Amino acid sequence: MSDPVVHITNLNIKYHQKVVLGDMNWTIRRKEHWLLCGKSGSGKTTLAKAIAGADHVYGNVELHFDAESALPAKALYVANWYQFKDLEGQSNFYYQQRYNKQAVEVTATVNAELEAYGKKNGLNFSSLDRIIDALGYAALLDSALIQLSSGEHKKLQLVKALWFKPQLLILDQPYNGLDAASRKNLNVLIDEFVGAGLQLILISNERDLPSCINRVAEIREGQIHESNLEEHQASHKMTIKEEALKPVPAFLRDFPVAYNACGIIRMIDVNISYGDKQVLKDINWEVNAGEKWLLQGHNGSGKSTLLSLISGDHPQAYSNNFYLFGNKRGSGESIWDIKARIGLISPELHWYFDASATVWQSIVSGFYDSSGLFCDPGATKKAQADELLSYFGLDEYKNTLMNKLPLGKQRLALLARTIIKNPELLILDEPCQGLDHQQTKHFNKLVDELCKNGTTLIYVGHFESQLPSCIEKKIVLENGEVKLIENRLESV
Amino acid sequence: MSNYFNTLPLREKLNQLGVCDFMESSEFLDGVNALKGKKLVIVGCGAQGLNQGLNLRDSGLDISYALRQEAIDGKRDSWKNATENNFNVGTYEQLIPSADVVINLTPDKQHTAVVNAVMPLMKQGATLLYSHGFNIVEEGMQIRKDITVIMVAPKCPGSEVRAEYVRGFGVPTLIAVHPENDPEGKGLEQAKAYCVGTGGHRAGVLKSSFVAEVKSDLMGEQTILCGLLQTGSILSFDKMIEKGIDAGYASKLVQYGVEVITEALKQGGITAMMDRLSNVAKIKAFEVSEELKTIMRPLFQKHQDDIMSGEFSRIMMEDWAAGDKNLLAWRAATGETAFEKTPAGNVTIGEQEYFDNNLLMVAFVRAGVELAFETMVEAGIKPESAYYESLHETPLIANTIARKKLFEMNRVISDTAEYGCYLFDHACKPLLADFMTRVDTDLVGKNFNEGKDGAVDNRALIAVNEVIRTHQVELVGAELRKAMTAMKSIKTA
Repeated sequence: MSDPVVHITNLNIKYHQKVVLGDMNWTIRRKEHWLLCGKSGSGKTTLAKAIAGADHVYGNVELHFDAESALPAKALYVANWYQFKDLEGQSNFYYQQRYNKQAVEVTATVNAELEAYGKKNGLNFSSLDRIIDALGYAALLDSALIQLSSGEHKKLQLVKALWFKPQLLILDQPYNGLDAASRKNLNVLIDEFVGAGLQLILISNERDLPSCINRVAEIREGQIHESNLEEHQASHKMTIKEEALKPVPAFLRDFPVAYNACGIIRMIDVNISYGDKQVLKDINWEVNAGEKWLLQGHNGSGKSTLLSLISGDHPQAYSNNFYLFGNKRGSGESIWDIKARIGLISPELHWYFDASATVWQSIVSGFYDSSGLFCDPGATKKAQADELLSYFGLDEYKNTLMNKLPLGKQRLALLARTIIKNPELLILDEPCQGLDHQQTKHFNKLVDELCKNGTTLIYVGHFESQLPSCIEKKIVLENGEVKLIENRLESV
Repeated sequence: MSNYFNTLPLREKLNQLGVCDFMESSEFLDGVNALKGKKLVIVGCGAQGLNQGLNLRDSGLDISYALRQEAIDGKRDSWKNATENNFNVGTYEQLIPSADVVINLTPDKQHTAVVNAVMPLMKQGATLLYSHGFNIVEEGMQIRKDITVIMVAPKCPGSEVRAEYVRGFGVPTLIAVHPENDPEGKGLEQAKAYCVGTGGHRAGVLKSSFVAEVKSDLMGEQTILCGLLQTGSILSFDKMIEKGIDAGYASKLVQYGVEVITEALKQGGITAMMDRLSNVAKIKAFEVSEELKTIMRPLFQKHQDDIMSGEFSRIMMEDWAAGDKNLLAWRAATGETAFEKTPAGNVTIGEQEYFDNNLLMVAFVRAGVELAFETMVEAGIKPESAYYESLHETPLIANTIARKKLFEMNRVISDTAEYGCYLFDHACKPLLADFMTRVDTDLVGKNFNEGKDGAVDNRALIAVNEVIRTHQVELVGAELRKAMTAMKSIKTA
């Protein structure tokens, strides 16, 4: 057997008196490329951070790097959460800030950011182009960091990590927010780098993996259970059960309040640009009450900008000709009037959400469309929140702060927040990011159930296999233009 | 024009200084209705102008920006801010005549010129809105009698005004109606509606007066907020260098320390800040701050006296007339201090270390906040007003120091605040010279607890806690903070 690269013995990590990893042992040898999986909250991220050198670890984590390798002797962990800073080193950004134009740019450009990163780590700039090309990032080099969408931030994180090219790379949910083509390109790139001596630990729930993956580790009850890919996928199929949906809470079974028979959205030649850069071009789109739409497009195609117009988050809404819920936008309505009729979840909403709120406060805040809770909701709403808390299996986390929970659980709380007021219009922008297959399936079933009563739906999802079945229409954006509008039932 | 406050009889002076009513949320149920369908024209599109405008428009109000022809032709930042966010932009002549409300969000220094330019263009019965009362109170600007004059002053930087609004909240706000200019009695309704439009009604609104706002605002910014933070930062840094502490460490400890320390202040007042120290350290910080209060009290009183008498504005306006001669010289001198020129070192400082290794800063903050508060209240300003202008704003100013030190603080605050800050700083340093000779690295630079066993006398500790916790700024603060508990923390370090 070859020498171990990672040798973990008796690793113990507790969280709030609860054992996350208990006396765990795991050995990773050269040429092994692992898929690390496990349910949300099983300790995947915690383990990854321990390998990459987090503090407060009880137990033994040894790393043996190859002295002969041309690659830096480092275990680089790429988090499932991106971060960026402004020119003064702060990351005090707020939701929808990227749509407000301020004469003074607050953040560096992608180019400047990469240059600083490369210099700091002594990287070879000639090797960067290949990565930028492969991930289709060239067009974004002049963009300011604040303007990037969540998928574009994710890619930047990956560009940096691959450019660094450490001996051991740990990717935590790298596919979140990436479109299908980008995922494929990422996998190709990873395989190429593995050929050059990089070793991989990949945390993911996805099925399309780089072909280098030859080992699988699942964390169950604080222990590593090893298998290979075939065994894993076979057992995975077995365990995905067709679970019946629990009865939806009664208060969500009614018709949405103020059910509107007329048009929900009507856009007439809508254009959005920042300086010379046009993000949306002549968009014409009509959504009628009760319709279920799928919105698709590659990363950077303009999906989030389009949705931000609908949710009242984009200042350029005021110079465009479009109607929401029958009223022309900018005719005296407030964004809170609009938001009151919409249940919205998106990667950005999650990223900017008040992480110092408890799970329960976060769920209740859906009644008020606020990030965090600022008022006393009264007995009825409290009872409804409790009911939904149970429905999503979050009882034990009721008073836990959002930032103390793994992403998957945070996401469940925000999904509960999204539907709690039984809105007329549901905007679900990649709602299942961070959830496993079982959870995704289950949530999509719930969406089907909720939508039976005339709710209008706009759903963004990159994968056909992971969509609610109620979807009947589809709009596809490409480079800011409508590429296709079709009736999905006909196309099948 | 003469100082408005000085034209009032004493009874009326006290009357206006004493306007202070923390409003109930039920007083805002009418929403933005009092301004709905009216033409609101904002003059100036800097950080406050732009962000307030974005909020007001998102609340369903009709917003345009009036800029000077030069700003439009030169495509200046104000023009870019307004046009790139798709606002209607025009000259004074184009927009002011049809305006129902003219919102003056230009710097103090420009107020007289701006108001003189817009007033003749304003229609009968329109409203003029300020966010600071200097022009009315100190310069004595007379507004046409048919015009309603109101004030709405969000107590946060412009970017926070926007950030809190989009998350469904707001920032604490002062509102006022000028008693000389409320011919139709609609001032308060409009001020409240404006407050709802910016989101301020969700975070606590204090009904004040132009007089109370100006006299307390000037006092706060000159003494605790900017003046003392500047003096404390420079003296702490210089002391550490004198005692051989690494310059990079000293620079970082001060630059980020003020923010970390005052974040505790924001969450739970002086009590929470002092509770971050060990018991021995708390007792020591208490003693030091008591001594500082004794030394600095006459200076705080002098500032309040000069503000009340109008002496401060008189000499500052002299400097305006002299082309900001003193202001610019003092600004340059601040840029040359050793603290300003020493970059923060690449060392890790833990959150608790900012407290333990800089007891002196904790003592400065307690002394400054309590002194500013006490002096204002003695002068007839109500405790709630005094709280906003002392304790509440300290963390916001500390944040600017964390970003880019004193230069940044002085760039962000108004020129009026900056001028007062230098006056205070120049008088305060000599006053503390003797005190500083007795300060050693146990107070600043090293961990005070080192080499101590942590034992304290129970009765001594109880007595100290009692004094800290029952101070009026703590009692008032606990009430007011209830309305803003959900404000997110600002963090740089």
